[in-house]
Amino acid sequence: MGDLDNSSSLVGSTASGEATFSEAPAKKKRNLPGMPDPEAEVIALSPKTLMATNRFVCEICNKGFQRDQNLQLHRRGHNLPWKLRQRTTTEVRKRVYVCPEASCVHHNPTRALGDLTGIKKHFCRKHGEKKWKCERCSKKYAVQSDWKAHMKTCGTREYKCDCGTLFSRRDSFITHRAFCDALAEESAKAQTLGSSQLGNPNPNPAKAVVVASPPPPPLTPSNNVVSPALSIQSSEFPENPVGLSPPPPATTCLTTTTTAISTTATTTTSTGNCSNSSSSVFASIFAPSSTVSQTLAAANSSSFSNLVSSTAIPSVSAMEPTSLSLSTSLYLSNNGSSLFPTSDQQDHRHYTTTPQAPAMSATALLQKAAQMGAGASSGSFLRGFGLSTSSSPPQPQDSSATLQWNNNHHSQHKRDASGGAASTVAAGLGLEGASTVLLTDLMMGPPLPFGNHHQPMTRDLLGLGIGGNGGGGGASSAGLSALLNSFGGGGGSFATYAARGGESSWESAQERKPNGAKGPALL
Amino acid sequence: MMQFTETPPQPLHQIVTTPFSPNLSIMNKNLTQRTRPWPGFPTSSKLTNFGDANCMEQLLVHCANAIETNDATLAQQILWVLNNIAPPDGDSNQRLTCAFLRALIARAARSGSLKLLAAMNAAEANLAIHTHKFSVIELAGFIDLTPWHRFGFTAANAAILEAVEGYSVIHIVDLSLTHCMQIPTLVDAIASRQDVLTNPPLLKLTVAGTTEDVPPMLDLSYEELGSKLVNFARSRNIILEFRVIPSSYTDGFANLIEQLRLQNLVYPESGHEALVINCHMMLHYIPEETFQNFEPCSSSSTSITTSSTSLRTMFLKAVRGLDPTVVVLVDEDADLTSNDLVGRLRSAFNYLWIPYDTVDTFLPRGSKQRQWYEADVCWKIENVIAYEGFQRVERLEPKSRWVQRMRSAGFRSVSFGEEAVNEVKTMLDEHAAGWGLKREEEDLVLTWKGHNVVFATAWMPA
Repeated sequence: MGDLDNSSSLVGSTASGEATFSEAPAKKKRNLPGMPDPEAEVIALSPKTLMATNRFVCEICNKGFQRDQNLQLHRRGHNLPWKLRQRTTTEVRKRVYVCPEASCVHHNPTRALGDLTGIKKHFCRKHGEKKWKCERCSKKYAVQSDWKAHMKTCGTREYKCDCGTLFSRRDSFITHRAFCDALAEESAKAQTLGSSQLGNPNPNPAKAVVVASPPPPPLTPSNNVVSPALSIQSSEFPENPVGLSPPPPATTCLTTTTTAISTTATTTTSTGNCSNSSSSVFASIFAPSSTVSQTLAAANSSSFSNLVSSTAIPSVSAMEPTSLSLSTSLYLSNNGSSLFPTSDQQDHRHYTTTPQAPAMSATALLQKAAQMGAGASSGSFLRGFGLSTSSSPPQPQDSSATLQWNNNHHSQHKRDASGGAASTVAAGLGLEGASTVLLTDLMMGPPLPFGNHHQPMTRDLLGLGIGGNGGGGGASSAGLSALLNSFGGGGGSFATYAARGGESSWESAQERKPNGAKGPALL
Repeated sequence: MMQFTETPPQPLHQIVTTPFSPNLSIMNKNLTQRTRPWPGFPTSSKLTNFGDANCMEQLLVHCANAIETNDATLAQQILWVLNNIAPPDGDSNQRLTCAFLRALIARAARSGSLKLLAAMNAAEANLAIHTHKFSVIELAGFIDLTPWHRFGFTAANAAILEAVEGYSVIHIVDLSLTHCMQIPTLVDAIASRQDVLTNPPLLKLTVAGTTEDVPPMLDLSYEELGSKLVNFARSRNIILEFRVIPSSYTDGFANLIEQLRLQNLVYPESGHEALVINCHMMLHYIPEETFQNFEPCSSSSTSITTSSTSLRTMFLKAVRGLDPTVVVLVDEDADLTSNDLVGRLRSAFNYLWIPYDTVDTFLPRGSKQRQWYEADVCWKIENVIAYEGFQRVERLEPKSRWVQRMRSAGFRSVSFGEEAVNEVKTMLDEHAAGWGLKREEEDLVLTWKGHNVVFATAWMPA
């Protein structure tokens, strides 16, 4: 794979950023619909013209036509001047059509569609009203031809499970049917004899061989007809001629297979109901090796899950005071425990016990923050990167949750509740300004020297993502302070903290830092 | 009367004009093309057309490199940028990128090399992906939504049906990621055969009770699942024996193989019994790494052979040793085996966009099922990116390599019949227009917008 070759050359070559950037992999492109010839003539129609059926109207009799050519022919009848457009071979230029809906991907000329009917149908389907409704199944269609096509098949293939679920496809129905409780209930009703047998709890479920074999089928064919097979085989499977009466040979076959079942049954349950010689052989072979392997497997899995839980899912252990998980302990060992006094961990515990916020991610948080804009965003961004993990709500799902959390937080630290937003800003600012040491410690780690580590690439990236963020001093040219600036830019780019009065929040940041960072080590 | 408004092609980007004020554009999620020339990035028209996916892939690659080289500053800057251009609820490319972003963060946290990221990850404890545990009915409906699995089911069932024609006992070993979801349709197909009326076959179903949790996960024990299947088969006048053999892909299903071998010994006259090995997206979990010479002193001859052998190879050889009637191998057509993170990232990125791209065609935004679906894809991405060693279980191999493996294990490929092709085509007609079917030599390949998604191959002992 070309991809692989490329990538191997990329590894470890970040130092020479420029070189690696210029390596554009020549790779296959996704085949998106609507990739017209760039030479083609792009035509944009308004929704009205696009949807008008008879756009070409005769001024005499008001009759409308779909095509101009037809109108011209019509005009002949009124003795009006008419002109049919001649197709000149030289001017055959390919035309492509864009969707009038501005938010649609096909609005972009590069994704225009190749024919007028296509764009019409597209516009109807995607942005139009679905006014064609199937009376039978209530499906709605925007394009009449779609509706017609549906009407041809609707109802002809319809499967209904006893649980009430409808299926249009046989496969779907079969799969559902097999696992639906409705079937199990029916067969339980139909076969009381068998159910007693089924009711026998398996004495040793952990055994290797588990046969969930059915009770012997009903002995009489007629009984079989009443069984749930009826519901499937009758109306719903018209094409299946198996029908209502299983043929006589089936009965004999059933009895033989019944013994087959019971042989395996003995291997599992070891109750030895059936004294069949072959079955005992079976059992002796199966039992020992499989149990061994099972314990092995169990051991494997538990160790696996342990690993997983200890590393990837810190919330598992979140109830203990040392809840900051693996990564934090690493943190602690390297930076001194003063960074994370115990109160801090209580914070986390507090959070983990709050019911909010499943799933999602750091990115979700940051995204949300970006949307909310303002100081909150800069704060949460910084916190997202662990600079003030102590106060970060990992996952504000909605504003009220955040607010609530903030309130808790503030009451804990005896703060003015009204300072909520401002204090997050303050956290961000404080980091930018005063805690260089902290930053170097946290971000670079001991092995990375601070000063000469910033390569041009750093700035490039900053330039792209952050540096251009308008006023806030984001564009960082000084290599030494690129890092700081990047965060400063980040704060500034979200920008509204300036509107809140940068100075005052700055000061408040200074004041509050002992609290906000919860440890003199930060200063 | 000029009815057509003919406008000149619009400029590709409306926002091209202000190269140095991207602070708005960063905030603007709808901004799809970047305006300022990205330093060192190709700014050709190619890039602008496909700007998003390519650009995001580049960023992810650089981020991965930064993480691997311990460059915390750079890593964070890229993460920050990525985070702003790839919201988890964005378009398919953005969601794809977001998943990779999370996986990279998880990797950084796991390796512990970047303390800051580690702390960040800890702070975001719920970065963990919550894969859904399906009820069996949910799972059935879930798998039914897309041809992703149904393609393999349909093709495999057709091939199996053809191969077991005339056998009175059919033993199916189902090694499937989907917890026997294929079996009902197979049972139904067998029950619908003409000759069933006079001589219904005995079906034996053996599954490997894997102990690992790989999505999709089921909240039902295999024993219960089995009893449902048995019950269903009976309703179709088929006797089904169901058996779970605790066995796992981590050791190449060694226990399962062992049990099957013993059974072959017990019933040597199994000429009337068809043995079907149905492998549905499961074999790529078997470790494919070749063994090191871990016991060089045991015997010189074995050390030479094991040095070039992997569990995957051994498993296929062992399957061949069982002399099966037919082996159906269905799997996803991508290569995620590279030991190099960036290589894996690239090929995963260029494959796993497909689930994100397709989901819009069958699940509405914000639906529960969609969350489950995307969480499972996320799980995959995280496994590929954030894990190493035996924990990295998503080791897809492309079709060509599987074909090679099967051939060298002593199988010959069997062509899918016209009936199988028609069945698949009919099935695909029920789904979105982007799906397609491709025949490659003997095999069938499911495609999305022309890109290979899943392949289906059938094999018999050579």
